[in-house]
Amino acid sequence: MKGILVDVTKCSGCERCVAACITENDSDPVRAHMDRVLTKDGLSENRLLSVLSVDDGRFARKSCMHCLEPSCVSACLVGGITKTPEGPVIYDPDKCIGCRYCMLACPFTIPRYEWQETTPFMRKCEMCFERVKDGLDPACVEACPHGALLFGERDDLLRVAYSRIASGNDVYLPRVWGENEFGGTSVLYISDVDLSPIGWPEPDVESIPSMTEPLITKTPIIGMSVASSLLGVNWIIRRRMKLQNEIAGSGETTISTEATSPAETAGSVGPDRSDQKGGEGA
Amino acid sequence: MRRTRTLKDILWALAMAGLVAGMFRLWFGLGATTNLTDAVPWGLWKILNMIAGVAISTSGFTIGFLVYVLKLERFRPLMKPAILLAFLGYGCSCLALLFDIGLPFRFWHPFLMWNEHSFLFEVFWCVILYFTVTAIELGPTIFEKLRIERVAEYLHSIAFGVVVVGISLSSLHHSSLGSLFLVTPQRLHPLWYSSLLPLFFIISAMGAGMMFIVLIKILYARLYNRESVFGPKGEETIFLAPLSERKAGNGNHRSVGRDMPMLIGLASIAVSILGVFGILQIIDLLVSGSWRALIAGTWESWLFGLEMILLAGLPSFLVWNPRTRRSPTALGMAAFSACSGLMLNRLDVGIFGYFRNAGAFYFPSLAEWALSIGVIAAAGLAFLFFVENFPIFDEEWRNRRKDMGVFRASFDSLSRVWNTALSSGLERTTVIAVLVIPLAWGIMYPMYSRADGIEAIEPAVGLDITRTELCIDGNKTGVTTNFPHADHRERLGGESSCRSCHHMSLPGDETTACFRCHRQMVQSTLIFDHTGHTRAVAESEQLKGIHPSNHSCAVCHHEGEAKSAESSKPCLDCHKEDTAWAERSDGEDDLAYAVSYMEAMHNNCIPCHREKAEEVDRKTLGDCSTCHRSLVARQIVSETLVPDDH
Repeated sequence: MKGILVDVTKCSGCERCVAACITENDSDPVRAHMDRVLTKDGLSENRLLSVLSVDDGRFARKSCMHCLEPSCVSACLVGGITKTPEGPVIYDPDKCIGCRYCMLACPFTIPRYEWQETTPFMRKCEMCFERVKDGLDPACVEACPHGALLFGERDDLLRVAYSRIASGNDVYLPRVWGENEFGGTSVLYISDVDLSPIGWPEPDVESIPSMTEPLITKTPIIGMSVASSLLGVNWIIRRRMKLQNEIAGSGETTISTEATSPAETAGSVGPDRSDQKGGEGA
Repeated sequence: MRRTRTLKDILWALAMAGLVAGMFRLWFGLGATTNLTDAVPWGLWKILNMIAGVAISTSGFTIGFLVYVLKLERFRPLMKPAILLAFLGYGCSCLALLFDIGLPFRFWHPFLMWNEHSFLFEVFWCVILYFTVTAIELGPTIFEKLRIERVAEYLHSIAFGVVVVGISLSSLHHSSLGSLFLVTPQRLHPLWYSSLLPLFFIISAMGAGMMFIVLIKILYARLYNRESVFGPKGEETIFLAPLSERKAGNGNHRSVGRDMPMLIGLASIAVSILGVFGILQIIDLLVSGSWRALIAGTWESWLFGLEMILLAGLPSFLVWNPRTRRSPTALGMAAFSACSGLMLNRLDVGIFGYFRNAGAFYFPSLAEWALSIGVIAAAGLAFLFFVENFPIFDEEWRNRRKDMGVFRASFDSLSRVWNTALSSGLERTTVIAVLVIPLAWGIMYPMYSRADGIEAIEPAVGLDITRTELCIDGNKTGVTTNFPHADHRERLGGESSCRSCHHMSLPGDETTACFRCHRQMVQSTLIFDHTGHTRAVAESEQLKGIHPSNHSCAVCHHEGEAKSAESSKPCLDCHKEDTAWAERSDGEDDLAYAVSYMEAMHNNCIPCHREKAEEVDRKTLGDCSTCHRSLVARQIVSETLVPDDH
């Protein structure tokens, strides 16, 4: 399981990573440059990675976090998003139908949509999956001139992160962003300032699929139990009606016209005893 | 039946406007026709048409439950209308959804590509299956009318099983629609986010669905069969009972239609369910602590209050109050209130609840409204078609066949069109179409070219403009740079050039961002001046003609080939005087392109800075932060990592 470690203290905000990302993903550089100014967080369908100012002279990248238990993967109804064993969360445009539930489901609000296209697709960082498969670093990591990005096995990165925090003379805040949040993410941050400006959601250690998936696996059971309880209720009511018929002594059914007087109307939910048509219209 | 006809005309007009909007959406795409953004990805079509539309069509399963399972035979007359409503409700929801998804031609993907962990997947399957169930339930009515008795009998015989399957499916997908929003605990406003959302959704949908059928029954009676609900003519009931009681002397003798008791009974059940929903909501707010958001006085809290009053408060009051409960008008108002409350609730959960977190506002575009309402209008027309041609509400439908002219198969012939155009039938529809479609097209057309919203840029006021260089954040991106103000002023035309960047009179755009002129900061730039060349070529070649420069294309571009920089004549073919230089500099073949502005500026300063940094032993002189003052100097980390005594 690979990941990226972001050292916020080393980032100078030069945006070489963004430029590399634009080249690697074949985005339109002019539109990407416009989107840097026109969007709130610099992310758009042309700009899958952005560098935001988090504090005076401190910058942090914002892009897909590649969660270990991604909410988008569990949300996509056609299974178009997958978490690869290598680490990247990748998107299959051939499956996508454009429902945009992944955009709603992402706690980091990362997926972007090609709104201006007539056949639009979702776009997000895929951690350069093709490159990673070939044993290369993602384009952004390769482009960083300051060594602020580090690519490698997630466990190794965690170790590096903690050793930097330990040897950093209290420069770093004692926290690795992404270690446990939302079940852990493949992109990790260490920083000397608070990272909430890049849109870090309220701390929620539990991952979203771990909330929803236990519920959805119960679906068949709920369906069956509803059906069986309906049959049970129906059986009881039919039996009561039959018994009442027998108690009435005669097999005659009296079909009284419904509600001759408006006065007797209250919302009694119980079976209407005046009406004994019996079974269905078979 | 003037009223029916007017209603149909309005519905036709709305449906056609919706058709135009649908064509726009397919032709121009989502971004051009809707106001959806990355911050608010789900809009009117999904929330109002799909989620609220499905929720309000619960009548099919709730009435089925009352009639088939609980054996409350007095509600049987409502069974067929309920099924019809469910069928149409689900049908029009699916239709609207087809326009909402980005790639409509892939609607079949979920049939083959499964992700059983997705709530949306569950909703999709349950909705499709339940839609089939409603079609089967509607079958007997259709087949009996068409005199295919064997099929009708068979469908009758499996009715109970189908109803049970339908109820199970409904209970699953109505709760799953609520579960859809469980994945957004950080984003949805705490007033609406609750782990009980699935429960809330199914309960409110059941109550409001029953109220919807009450509303439809009353509206139907208004149009076709007044006596059945409102009582005999001339003895129309008055809204406030006390008044009529005073008039009649005794309230008990007030006459209402024969179906009124049934409707009151159903409405009573419905408001009990809605009351339970309201109480559950309040308890949940109290337990989760979100009640603080309710008294915070934000617009969300007012919206929540309005929703609760419409959905639970007002209907309960109107139905339980003995003074109003027996008035068909009051009952209709209660039902309408409950239905609109449900709509509002779904819009809150699906759209409004996200504004606070997204920091963005969304108001549907004209095309979104048109399609949304158009689909509902189309469902309304289908509803009218069914009740006029099939025994849905009662057996008196044959008497109304004279009103069904709209659907009569007749076609315009030129000779008759003006005589009969406004009288009846398809001709009327044609006239409506001729009027509405161009009108809708005209109104909606500008919507497709949505202007890009430009964020406000703070003016660099208070800076000393007499200095040659200012430190500005010209693109408002949190990065400052040294800006040669005096130099810009000189190049752009002295005193009078201020207005090319500073627009004090323009709201939201006080200064022009750097990138507005320096468009290609990071891209290598085309330095070839095309306009100048066409003019110069026309002059030097002595081209004749009305527009001489029009004839200059062929000088550089070849006929039958796309006119691009790559396919045109090489620059050095004409610029002979530059040939010697070009040959010297190892044959640069791409003369038209210069390095990007950013690179040019960087190359201008950085090499010398780096050199000097070595020379004067100031390592940071070559850093980005020397010019970009918002960037941090490199040494911070290295200094802190190196122990002090070194």
